[in-house]
Amino acid sequence: MSEGRGTSRLWTRREFLATSAGVGAGLVLLGGCGGGAGGGAGSGSGQLTFQTWASTSGEQKGFRGLVQRFEKENPDASIKLEIVPGEQQYTKLDTRLAAGEGPDLARMQYQAIGRYSSQGALVDLSEYLDGDEASAFTPAFWQAVQYEDTPYALPHHTDTFAVFYNTGMFDKLGIEVPKSLDQSWTWDEFIQVAEQIKGEGVAKYPFAMNWQTAGAAYRWMSFLHQHGGQLLNNDLSGPMIDDSAGIETIAWNQSWFQNDLVPPSTSIKSTELIESLFANETIAMMLQGDWLIPYLVDSMKADWGVTYMIQDVEMASDMGGNAVGVTRDSENPELAAEFVKFIASEEQMAQFCVDAQFIPVRKSLVKQGLDYSMRPKEMTVFVEQSETVPETMAAEQTIPKFNEINQVLADELELAFKEGQSPEKTAKNIASETKEILG
Amino acid sequence: MTLRQPENPATKDGGAPSGVRGWWNRNQRLLIPYIFIAPNVVVFAVFMFLPILLAFYISLNEWTLIGFPTFVGLSNYLDMLEDSEFWRAFYNTGVYTVGTVPTSIALGLAVAVGLNRKLPGRTLLRSIFFVPVIISLVAVALIAAWIFNDNYGIINAALSAVGIGDVPWLSSARWAMTSLIIATLWIRLGFNMVIYLAALQSIPTELYDAARVDGASGWRRFRHITWPLLGPTTFLLVIINIIYSLHVFDLIYVMTGGGPGFSTTVLVQYIYQMAFTEGQMGYASAIGVVLYLLLLIITVFQWRVTRQSENV
Amino acid sequence: MATVRSVLPGRGEKEPRGRLKGANLFVWLVLVVGALVVAFPLYWMFATAVRPKKEIFGGGLDLVPSTFVWSNFADAWNKLPWDQFYINSIAIAAIAVPVTVFINLLAGYTFAKYTFPGRDILFLLMISTLMIPIQVIMVPEFLIVAKLGWVNTWWGVLVPRAAEAFGLFMVRQFMVSIPDELIEAARLDGAGEFTIFRRVVLPLSWPVIAVLSIFTFMWRWNDFAWPLVVLQEQSAYTVPLGLNLMKGQYFTDWTGLMSMSLLSIIPMMLVFIFFQRYFIQGIASTGLK
Repeated sequence: MSEGRGTSRLWTRREFLATSAGVGAGLVLLGGCGGGAGGGAGSGSGQLTFQTWASTSGEQKGFRGLVQRFEKENPDASIKLEIVPGEQQYTKLDTRLAAGEGPDLARMQYQAIGRYSSQGALVDLSEYLDGDEASAFTPAFWQAVQYEDTPYALPHHTDTFAVFYNTGMFDKLGIEVPKSLDQSWTWDEFIQVAEQIKGEGVAKYPFAMNWQTAGAAYRWMSFLHQHGGQLLNNDLSGPMIDDSAGIETIAWNQSWFQNDLVPPSTSIKSTELIESLFANETIAMMLQGDWLIPYLVDSMKADWGVTYMIQDVEMASDMGGNAVGVTRDSENPELAAEFVKFIASEEQMAQFCVDAQFIPVRKSLVKQGLDYSMRPKEMTVFVEQSETVPETMAAEQTIPKFNEINQVLADELELAFKEGQSPEKTAKNIASETKEILG
Repeated sequence: MTLRQPENPATKDGGAPSGVRGWWNRNQRLLIPYIFIAPNVVVFAVFMFLPILLAFYISLNEWTLIGFPTFVGLSNYLDMLEDSEFWRAFYNTGVYTVGTVPTSIALGLAVAVGLNRKLPGRTLLRSIFFVPVIISLVAVALIAAWIFNDNYGIINAALSAVGIGDVPWLSSARWAMTSLIIATLWIRLGFNMVIYLAALQSIPTELYDAARVDGASGWRRFRHITWPLLGPTTFLLVIINIIYSLHVFDLIYVMTGGGPGFSTTVLVQYIYQMAFTEGQMGYASAIGVVLYLLLLIITVFQWRVTRQSENV
Repeated sequence: MATVRSVLPGRGEKEPRGRLKGANLFVWLVLVVGALVVAFPLYWMFATAVRPKKEIFGGGLDLVPSTFVWSNFADAWNKLPWDQFYINSIAIAAIAVPVTVFINLLAGYTFAKYTFPGRDILFLLMISTLMIPIQVIMVPEFLIVAKLGWVNTWWGVLVPRAAEAFGLFMVRQFMVSIPDELIEAARLDGAGEFTIFRRVVLPLSWPVIAVLSIFTFMWRWNDFAWPLVVLQEQSAYTVPLGLNLMKGQYFTDWTGLMSMSLLSIIPMMLVFIFFQRYFIQGIASTGLK
C-alpha cells in the first residue's frame, strides 16, 4: 500500500455506507416481531405465548400438536410456542417476570411450582376449573399443584424411575428380574445382584443412579421414602431427616461408593451421563427415568430391558414430570386457563403422552394404559410405577422453599458420597440448614 | 501536557476563514475528542453504566426476582464475609486464574512469535490454533468433558493402551481443576495468539535489522525489542484474561458441575446459583459488585504501572 | 500533507522465504506438534458428527468411525429451522461489525491520542463494564431493554453490545504506539482532526481493524446469554441458541450438536481467513524523514 490517500477515502465512504445501511436495516427490523400477550375480550379469542422447553424428539411434536388442535377448536385464538433450551427455562422465566414481560403460560416441574405460586407469579386457577379435578388426577400430582389448598397449575404428565438392565449380561449370569410390582427387588436383593455382577466382572461397575446434577438432588428422596423416612415432619414445618431412617438411607447410598458398586464419577455434583455408561456397557444396570428410552433406542447397540424400581419397607419412585400454569403477566388469563384445561383433558393428555413418550397423570388413563409406539412393554412398567409416588414426598417437594432445600441436599449428600462425610453429620447438617430455611 | 491552540490554517486559502467554518477550524481540536467518543459513551451509559448502578442498588436488597425486593442495606455484604462457601468459591477461582492467565498468555505469545515467521503452512497453523476460540462454547465444553471422561474418554483410553491406568480427571478433587485449566488453555491460546500477532505487525522491521547488524541474538532481540514494544498489548491481555478467568462459568459447569464436592465451584457459578436457584438476587448482585471492584482495583493498579512506559 | 513512508511490509522478524534450517526447523516442528494436539478435539467433534449413533460412546481408542454417516448432518439440519437461525446470526453479526469497528476505532484513537479532562477516569469506567459478570448485569439490562420496548427485536440484541468495551480497550492499546510526531506533523500542515484520523491513523491501523472485525463478528456470532433473554420467538433465534436447543433437558443429541457446531464455524472461519492476511501485510512506518 503506497499512498494512503485513495484507500482511506474509499474506506471511509464504504464504512459510511455500511453503517447507514446497517442503521436502516435496523430501523426496518424495529417494526418486527412483537411478542407479548395480546388482549382478547372474552375466552376463545386472543393470542397467547407459552414458554416451554421441548426436545427435538417427540416433545416438540407433542406440543405443536396440542397447539394445532386447540387453535382448530378455537379459531380466534392463537398460541405462540416459545421454546427455550431446557436448562434456561427458569432463568429466562424469572428474568421476564422481573421485568413484567412474562409469558402467558409456562411449563414447570412439580418441584418448581411452590416457588412461583407462593410469590404470586402464577394465577390462581380455581375460578376457571369445574371442581371435579381433585378426583380425576393421580393424587400425588394433584397435591403437587396446590399451594395453600388452591391449584396454581394443572398436572400435565409425569415420568418416573425404574431399573434398566442389560439383558445380555443378565442372561449370562442367569439373573431373573421381578415380574410384578409387588415382587420388585428389595434393597438387599438389589445389592446381591450388584455384588454378583461385580464378582463376575461382566461390567466395569454394577450400576449407577441418575441424580446428576445438583438440581436433581431431590431424586435421592425416593430412597428415603422407600426406607420409611421423611424429609420433613407431617405438617411440613421442620425437618425429620435426622432420624434413624434418614441416617440409614444416607449410609446405604454412601456404601455404593465405598464398595465400588457405582462409578466414582456418578455422584450428584457431576456431569456424567449415566445413560452413556449404560449404552456402552460400562454399567450393567441403571436407576433411570423413562424419558431416556428414545436415547437408548437410538444409541444403544446391546439389548436392554426394564424392571420395577427397588423397594424397602415401602415403595417409592421419583416424582418427575411437569405441570403448566398461567403467569401473573398474562393479559388474557381466561383464555390461558382454557388452554391449560385443554391440554390436561383426557384426550389431549393421552395424545401428548403417546407423542412425547410420557406417563399420564389422570387415573383413568393410567388404568386403561396408552398405546405407546416406542417400547410399549417397558412403558407399562413405568406407568404402573408412577402410582407409587408417595403423597408425603409430593407434599415435601412442592413447598415454596424447596429449591433452597434441594441445594442443601446436593451439597451435603455430595460430601457424604465423595468425601466420606459421616451419615450422622450429613443428616444433622441437612436438618439444621432446613430448619434455618423454613424459619 | 497542555492543549496547544491550533494555529490558523493560513496555508490553505491565503486568508483566515470566517464564520462557522472558521470557528470550527479553530476549536475543533477541543471538541473533536468529545464528538469522537460520543457514540461509545452514550451506548455505555445507557446499557452498561445504568445496569451496573441498578445492580449496585439491587445488591442492597433481598430479591427473588419473581417477588418484590426488600431493602436490607449492607447486610448482603456482611453475610458474605461469613459465608464459607463464598470463600471456597473465591479460592477456587483464584487457583483457576493463577493457573490459566500466565500460562495462556505465555503460550499465546510463543505461538504468535513462532507463526510470525515465514514458515510453510503458516496460515493453516494459525487457523488451527484459532478455531477453538470460535467454536460455540456449548460444543467446546461438551467435547472437553467427553475427552476427559473417566470411563470412556480418549485420554484414559490412550493411557490404558500404554499401560498407565485411568486417571479420574473429572471425578476427583485432585485432578478436576487441572483438567479445567488444560481445557481452558486450549480455548484461550488462539485468542492471545491472534492479538499478539496483530501487535507484532506494528513493530518496525528496521529495529530488528539494526539489531541484527549489531550482532544481537534472537533471544536478545526478543527481550530488548519485541517484549518492551508489546507492553501495551501484554497489559491488555493480562487484564482481559484475568477478567475471563474470574468470570469463568459455562465451561466448568458443563465439565464438572462445580464438583466433586466443592472443589471446582467458582464465584460466578455461586452467583448463578444464588440468583436463579435460591432466589437471592440481591446477594448474588453483591458478590458481582465485589468481583467488579476487585477487578477494577487490579486494573487501576496495573494501569499505573504501565502508564509510564506508554508515555501517554 | 504529512508523508507516511511505508517500507516493505514488515512482519516483525523477516526471514528468507521457506528456509527450514536449524532453529527454524525446530520451531516449526514444535508448532506442528502443538497444532496437532489442538486439532485433535476438533477431529473428535468431526468423528462424533459422522459416526453411527450407536458407536458414539464406544470408549476405547477407536479413532476412526467405522462408517461415515453423512446423513447425520442433514438429519440435524431438518430438526430445527437452521436456515432461519443462520440468517439471523449473519445479519446481526454483519450489522454489528461495521458499527462497532467504526465507533470503537474513533473512541480508541481519542483515548490514546488526545488529552481532555476526565479522560483516564472515563476510559477506566468504560473498561470496567467488562468486569461485572453477565449473570448479575443481565436482569437490570433486560429491565432497561424492556422499558425501551426492544424485547424480541434485533435492536435489543445489537445496541447494548454495540460499544464493545474490549474492542475499545484493544484499539486504544494499539493506537498508543502510533508515533505522535506523525499526527503533529499533519496538524502543522493544517489538517482537520477528522482528516488526520482518515489519512494518518486509519492506514496504520489495518492490523487492529482486522482483529477487531474478526472478534466483533465472533462475539456477536457466539453471543448466547443475552440473545437468549431478549429473543422470545424461535424464528428470531440465532445459531448458538439453536445449538443449545440440541442440548436437551433430558439428553443431548450428540451427533446433531457436533455436526451443527462444526457447520457454524464455517462463516467465522471465512471471516478469519479473509482478515488474517492483514497480519501478513502489516504496514510499518519509519516515521518522518
